[in-house]
Amino acid sequence: MSPLLEVANLQISYGNRIILRSATLTAQSGEFLALVGVNGAGKSTLLDIIAGFRRPASGSVAIAGCDQRDWNLRELSQRVSHLPQTVHADLPYTAEQLVAMGRYPHTDRWFESDEDHSFIREAMKRTHCWEHRHRNFGTLSGGERQRVLLAACLAQNASILLLDEPSTFLDIEQQLHCFNVLREEAKTGKLCIAVTHDLNLALTHCSRIVVLADGVIAHDLPASRAPEDEAWLRCFSSQLRIGKTPAGRPWVWYQ
Amino acid sequence: MTPYEYTTAAARRNLILPVCAFVASALLLPWVGAGPISLARVLHHQSPDYEILVQLRVTRTLLALVAGGALSLAGSLFQAMLRDALATPYTLGISAGASLGAVAVIAAGWQMAWGIPATWFGSLAGAFAILTLVLGGFSRRIRISAFSLLLSGIAVNSVCAACIIILGGFAGMSRTFSIARWLIGSVDSTSFASLGVLTVVVLALAVVIVSQARSWNLLAVGDQWAASRGVHVPALLRTGYLAGSVLVAGAIALTGPIGFVGLIVPHLVRSRISPDHRVLLPSVFLFGGALLAACDALGRIVLPPAEIPAGAILALIGGPYLVWAIHQRRPSEEM
Repeated sequence: MSPLLEVANLQISYGNRIILRSATLTAQSGEFLALVGVNGAGKSTLLDIIAGFRRPASGSVAIAGCDQRDWNLRELSQRVSHLPQTVHADLPYTAEQLVAMGRYPHTDRWFESDEDHSFIREAMKRTHCWEHRHRNFGTLSGGERQRVLLAACLAQNASILLLDEPSTFLDIEQQLHCFNVLREEAKTGKLCIAVTHDLNLALTHCSRIVVLADGVIAHDLPASRAPEDEAWLRCFSSQLRIGKTPAGRPWVWYQ
Repeated sequence: MTPYEYTTAAARRNLILPVCAFVASALLLPWVGAGPISLARVLHHQSPDYEILVQLRVTRTLLALVAGGALSLAGSLFQAMLRDALATPYTLGISAGASLGAVAVIAAGWQMAWGIPATWFGSLAGAFAILTLVLGGFSRRIRISAFSLLLSGIAVNSVCAACIIILGGFAGMSRTFSIARWLIGSVDSTSFASLGVLTVVVLALAVVIVSQARSWNLLAVGDQWAASRGVHVPALLRTGYLAGSVLVAGAIALTGPIGFVGLIVPHLVRSRISPDHRVLLPSVFLFGGALLAACDALGRIVLPPAEIPAGAILALIGGPYLVWAIHQRRPSEEM
């Protein structure tokens, strides 16, 4: 069986600056990948290429065994949903209207069907924003907005979820909830790839840690093996150490 | 009631008021004017009541309904594409280009071509020249930022305004007066042929625009947001800019550059009825037509026998409204 996502030798530059030199990555359904790296490492660019927003100079992306370019836009959006790092915050829509947009690739109807509404309700309840459904998006706090945007991605019901810093603006309780929701999504057979700077969230919730550095996938290891191999931590800082919590979970700390 | 039934019923409820305003304007406003018109004389085709109503007031009201609808629809389209509730074809310079084209035609003394007012050809040429200039200058980029477009619009507006002044200076007394009158923006009686062509063009484009309402909803959030849900953003933007430019050029060729209708109506409908383009766009078209027709009717009766151009009435209402809207602007209304 071909992997759900195959990224091979991606290369892209902005002007003279090489962002990705040769990024190669394979992922199966049911996995939850943490895509980590320092600022400017190319994490968002890699997600943009997988989502089809940017064309790489060379390399390929295959989704469910087919080249990304062989899917039309609608087919691609039924398979890949993307949570951007930032969305124009001052929107006139209600939270529910925004989440309903996630159903766009699944229907040609003028208004969403009852089935679409059940996806919308389910997604908003899972991300704890159902009670805000009638509120204007612009009046929500940063964390509430982020939960609404995540709900829109879940309502899209795609098999690959690309999330660019999904826990931004969320309080600690909601960060944990967000990553739990994504872990549950992965358990249902989805592939979740989340860009994050929170290494502990990544270690405790994700199944794989993928470190992007110098334009390549510098480290790709199961989260369970991360404590045994500290080399990946050197990509961030020489002050980082990894230990274990009293419950036996890996924990990154700094000196 | 299921969620689907609730949504469709709410949309129908939201459309009742705009439909009533549009139909009421079409039926009642032709009867409004400086002098009374006898229904009995009209029914018996007696002069001058019959001619005043059918040839002057009806065509004028219909022109206001179609042009007002077109300008309002174009306004909401540009606001979605540029993601700014205060954007209009004027801020982008398209209206200025269309005005320059129409003024050039008036200054040259051309009146009709193939039974259609020559200002149409002038304004269409002007609008497309500006569209090509503004968008073509960025053609190598994947996406033009709204900021760059608005900045270009300011430059284009300045250049076009300067060219209009220069053309007015060389046009001679009577044509300069015609240019000045046209630039105020007014709804005058027109031939049924011109009205028919405008109506067909506007309705065809309105159908194209409204049929993509779901896509405009997504685009108003962001390019990536729309693209990741299956919208072909470059194609949608091309459709939007082309359709918006033709709507604006077609309408203002017959009415002059009437401002604010494309700003006030979308703003009001978005905040009072719904920001959802599936409801917003048809409502904006209907309310925009009704508002321009009402302003035109008001201009006929305020200072009889003189007529105040609809553009002046709209500016008197729209100017203070714009200032008020800017002061009242909440972040959530900025799109």
